[in-house]
Amino acid sequence: MKFIIITNNPLVAEKYENVLWTDGSVEKTLIKVRDLVYEGYELVSHPLAASLRMLFSPYRSIIIGNKKEKLNFEHAEIIDTSIIKYKNHMDLRKTDDLNRDDYKRIDLLLLEAALDEEKGKWY
Amino acid sequence: MKLEIGRIYIKDIQLGTETSVKNGVLTVDKTSLIAKLKEDDRIKDIKIDIARPGEKVRIIPVKDVIEPRVKISGGINGFPGVSAKQAQCGDGKVHVLYGAAIVTVGDIVGFQEGVIDMWGEGAQWTPFSTTFNLTVDINVVDGLDPHTHEETVRIAGLRAAEFVGEAGKDLQPDEVLVYEMGSIFEETNKYPNLPKVLYAEMMITQGLLHDTYIYGVNAQTILPSLLHANEELDNAVISGNCVAACDKITTYQHQNNSTILDLYAQHGKEINFMGCIMVPEHTTLSGKMRASDYTVKLVKMLGADAVVVSEEGYGNPDSDLLIICKKCEKAGVKTVLITDECAGRDGLSQPLADTAAEAVAVVSGGNVSHVVTLSPADKVIGNAKAIAVLAGGWEGALLEDGSLQCELNAVIGATSEIGYHNVTCRLY
Amino acid sequence: MSNEFKVLYYVNQFFGQVGGEDKAGMEPEFHQEKVGPAVGFEGQLKGEGKVVGTIICGDNYFNENKEKSLSFILDIVKKEPPDIFVAGPAFNAGRYGVACAEISKAVAEQLNIPVVTGMYIENPGLDTCKQVAYVVSTSDSAGGMRKALPLMAKITCKLAQGAEIGSPEEEGYIPRGMRKTIIVEKRGSLRAVEMLIKRLKGEDFVTEMPMPVFNVVAPAAAIKDLSKATIALCTSGGIVPAGNPDRIQSASAQKWGKYDVSGRDALNAPDFYTTHGGYDPVYANAIPDRVAPLDILKELEKEGYIGKVYDFFYTTTGTGTAVSKAVEFGTEIGKELKAAGVDGVILTST
Repeated sequence: MKFIIITNNPLVAEKYENVLWTDGSVEKTLIKVRDLVYEGYELVSHPLAASLRMLFSPYRSIIIGNKKEKLNFEHAEIIDTSIIKYKNHMDLRKTDDLNRDDYKRIDLLLLEAALDEEKGKWY
Repeated sequence: MKLEIGRIYIKDIQLGTETSVKNGVLTVDKTSLIAKLKEDDRIKDIKIDIARPGEKVRIIPVKDVIEPRVKISGGINGFPGVSAKQAQCGDGKVHVLYGAAIVTVGDIVGFQEGVIDMWGEGAQWTPFSTTFNLTVDINVVDGLDPHTHEETVRIAGLRAAEFVGEAGKDLQPDEVLVYEMGSIFEETNKYPNLPKVLYAEMMITQGLLHDTYIYGVNAQTILPSLLHANEELDNAVISGNCVAACDKITTYQHQNNSTILDLYAQHGKEINFMGCIMVPEHTTLSGKMRASDYTVKLVKMLGADAVVVSEEGYGNPDSDLLIICKKCEKAGVKTVLITDECAGRDGLSQPLADTAAEAVAVVSGGNVSHVVTLSPADKVIGNAKAIAVLAGGWEGALLEDGSLQCELNAVIGATSEIGYHNVTCRLY
Repeated sequence: MSNEFKVLYYVNQFFGQVGGEDKAGMEPEFHQEKVGPAVGFEGQLKGEGKVVGTIICGDNYFNENKEKSLSFILDIVKKEPPDIFVAGPAFNAGRYGVACAEISKAVAEQLNIPVVTGMYIENPGLDTCKQVAYVVSTSDSAGGMRKALPLMAKITCKLAQGAEIGSPEEEGYIPRGMRKTIIVEKRGSLRAVEMLIKRLKGEDFVTEMPMPVFNVVAPAAAIKDLSKATIALCTSGGIVPAGNPDRIQSASAQKWGKYDVSGRDALNAPDFYTTHGGYDPVYANAIPDRVAPLDILKELEKEGYIGKVYDFFYTTTGTGTAVSKAVEFGTEIGKELKAAGVDGVILTST
């Protein structure tokens, strides 16, 4: 299966080849994912992290998969509601700049764990 | 299985030259404990301290909380698959130092947080302000990769809990609780008319700092699995969740899983509690579909009438919770969900980004963004700098008198999604 | 020496004892005394506060001249800021409710003065102001005044004293949509198990997180052949025949109208105009087809693109109209169209 990783995390861009780099915020990254989903790409990983603390991360990597003929409505709903939820939390917040390096590393590690889960699949 | 939990009530805690419990006072031999933990040469040094309820002490950042216990008979002492060899949990006798807790302190990454205030406003929001806490602040040697660092701290916490738990070995418990359940068929024959209920416990399983282990197996790798309620009450499940203070299930809370305890209390009375399904929370959509399908399949195979579903974490796991709910309800199985919510600092935002009309019975653990004011502590155990992280990143978080405003999401166990704590939201 | 707090009160022309529908166009006035319900309201304050003045404005005037009216009212409030601002209660009166809501919102947000009002749960003004004001839940008619005033007064007193306002159930106001985090006696898992048992027994239970219910209407099947289809024109843009013979309201519509357009090529002025109070009418009055394009439909009919334009044109006003009313109108109109064999509807809104 061919994946594309949408990310604003330089560590991820360094490590992987199939990366679509968004030079900006997590919100910008989420919006890029949304645009691609609207074009027909399917989501492989969920756009949001699993903990509140990771929601505050200035880096986020999301995996998308194959481009299909038609838009996947469920995936469109997922990315849309993810952006809403993200903005709900982050619009009022400053980014945690103190811990940028730690967030970079953890985002990469979580991405690796997700890629690991998707090994050995072809659909 | 039959598990007898003997509670030895702890009324105070102190450091000393022996490890014992006399008249409810737990004494811990600090030197010996440190020596024992330093058997792991990945550990550089350890600081041991005490925090009692009511003292103006703040513990931060908290990694995990573990209950000190000792297995008297059945299985093996410790945490099988992690700090002890493999053995079956859930049978036999265990002594618990009830009211005491081991709190591991120390961050693997700078943005970790988690505060326990032993007094004042902060104390109301965490269940661990009422336990007598032995804090274990662990520093590892340089050069460890993050996975090894986390593992070292995690294991040290468990071993510390074992060491302290030994103190309860030869004592007569103050109270004995018996948890007994035969096979599902036996129980259903006993109570043929009671509705059959399962507990689907969602666990965070997404990678480093977001892990859960069952008998030492990283639950990210499993399919949803049946677990006997007694197993979780007997050290089978431990936490590797080091972020999101408010809704992480600490090891202590696995050992004392309140949803299991409250369902068990009704077994044979109002319900036939059949046991637990341990559900991994995957990052990938395919994983979410697989885990939810598999969970619902188990529910149907066991013929459950209802499922209580609890969550761990916030963000992508919300979608797993609702998918499981929808699939169960569509299959005619009634659900009750336990989750926390985000309604913004002013409480006005819609609590969940996802909604499901099928989720008609939901218990809320509270608004993770609710702001609390923590007054200045006399003593901080851990890393005082971590307080800056707590401030949640918005203006005006540190007040002039040294008080700190932070969101509830930074307080350990505040919005527990296994319903461990007594916080909720009402519509105003 | 009086420590009484000060209240400024707002009512419409009817409750302000100026007149009925005939005076709905009156401009806002300020009276340095208590008028209408403000009298009974002050009595309910039991000496703790007093009403220092009443602002009266016509419902139609307010809805058609929002900026001017608000500016006048805010000026009055700014001159001698009261401790609390009270409006209504508006019960289920749409235009009155919308006026109370807009004024409440402006006073609360721009002047930071606490506001108390009262409305029936379906009042179209509710959503605008329920988060910024305390809206006491009233019955749908003025008969509920007796019950509403004491509740409004009690909340007013509490606000003035800086006392904590209790839950909606305790205090009688409509939930503002705020999730308040509180500590309760029972832990979450116990509440979950109790909820479970009630649910299993078929007993009533209260969920702690109500899910928003989205009213999903299933779309009708696509029209296979437009060139054979009869299409009807319908609008909520308030386009009505000159003179508004059926007196369709300019806001908070209570009815819809149906007019024979079979002999017409367009809804042209001056035969038609807009009565809608929610938008600038200049362009709609110049060419009403801009809002309800009968002219285009007739062209398409001539071209053979559509089969036929239905003989009747349906219209009503959308602004300030209660959802329940809209559902009612839609059901009634839909029934007629279906019985007449209409295949599709162009429904325009503004």
